[in-house]
Amino acid sequence: MTRDRMSEQELDATLADLGERLAYPRPTRLADAVSARLREPRSGRWWDALRSPRFAFAPVFATLAVLALVIVLAVPGVRATADDFLHAWGIDIFRVPAIATPAVNPSPRSGLGALTTLVDARVRAGFPVRVPSDARLATPDEVYRDGADAPGARQRISLVYGPRAGIPLSYEPGVSVLVVEFRGTFDENLIGGKGVGPDTRIESLSVNGGRGLWVEGAPHLFFYRDPSGIIQTETLRLAGNTLIWEQDGVTFRIEAQVSREDALRIAASFR
Amino acid sequence: MADVKRLRTDSVEGRPTEDAALVERSRNGDQDAYGELVTRYQAIAARTAYVITGTAADAEDVAQDAFVKAYYALDRFRSGAPFRPWLLRIVANEAINRRKAAGRRPTVGLSVVEDRASGDTALSPEASALAHERREVVLDALRKMREEDRLVIAYRYFFDLSEVEMAEALGVARGTVKSRLSRAIARLRAAMEGDQLHDA
Repeated sequence: MTRDRMSEQELDATLADLGERLAYPRPTRLADAVSARLREPRSGRWWDALRSPRFAFAPVFATLAVLALVIVLAVPGVRATADDFLHAWGIDIFRVPAIATPAVNPSPRSGLGALTTLVDARVRAGFPVRVPSDARLATPDEVYRDGADAPGARQRISLVYGPRAGIPLSYEPGVSVLVVEFRGTFDENLIGGKGVGPDTRIESLSVNGGRGLWVEGAPHLFFYRDPSGIIQTETLRLAGNTLIWEQDGVTFRIEAQVSREDALRIAASFR
Repeated sequence: MADVKRLRTDSVEGRPTEDAALVERSRNGDQDAYGELVTRYQAIAARTAYVITGTAADAEDVAQDAFVKAYYALDRFRSGAPFRPWLLRIVANEAINRRKAAGRRPTVGLSVVEDRASGDTALSPEASALAHERREVVLDALRKMREEDRLVIAYRYFFDLSEVEMAEALGVARGTVKSRLSRAIARLRAAMEGDQLHDA
């Protein structure tokens, strides 16, 4: 009898019937299991959750384009041509003829959040905070945490170093090295951008096995996408050389007047 | 036989207002509120995962992972949007990824719980046997289909999602839902008929 083609009604009814009879699992205490998992420190590929649903990225691209345009047009002295447009694993780099030095250089302390301790930062960051084991930098002079006091809230941890042997002071009085760490990646889902002047040299390289970027020269603006998908702007604060890289879903950045080789050595010592 | 079910075009199942409040509290770190959401949607999450993975144990794991990931993605959840289809989207992706990671086999082991006490008792033995045979044919075809097609069919026929919810859960425009569904049904029929030719 079923050798005859089922009518639409018969198929509909059979499907509805089948839907009620499938041997579904019957989870009852899933909330407990989930709750236990949420209490564990987060590990692994947290950004999968962001990738899972097919979020519409179009608005993000549009926003990024507008932001780039605004930078190019609004910063005095910048001619409105981005004459080079590089793609380095999802980072868009806009090379422009010149970028004005901000009239007031942002203090490395302003905007870094609240002064805290390394222990507290590690507890609250929501990601493993790494510190260079390089003897000169194992103990930061100041640690800042920027982020709300809620589980899952975005956190940015900054380590500020005073004068250190062998590392020139930056343009920022009393500061030689700034390390910034936050969840947020250069994953293909995450788009960043950099406004870069003509004196700036950019090189993409491998850092600790992950993808990185070495930026040498003038002050720069820096875009990245945070875990909630919002484009954030950061000014590289020390106006020096910068090494940025991604490791385990966390973006690290070292700003210091050191050579590329020194920066890579310091990065390799992060534990 | 049951009436033909039409694709629901009204908006959303569940309790959107309460969901919104629970989502808001969860975002602020209230894990009890999130636990409430888990309890509320664990059944449909596990069922959705089961339709894709075809094994109950995998489906429970998938549901659990999906709830954990959804929690950490709450920042990206659009305020006021319905929670259930958003969650299902995460569940379905998680389930499909798991199947890919496990080395996708051509068929899944979906099975039915037969001999329910209710239902067929009202039917004559012949009608009951016919219904049983039809279910077997359809189930067999479903086992061989692409996850995405099985998912569309499940949302519509098994879980009775509305068109709006289906669009949200599938991540497609609302106007695309019907065509997705009719393509899935066409492929289901092709699979059924392929079977029958093969058997004959």
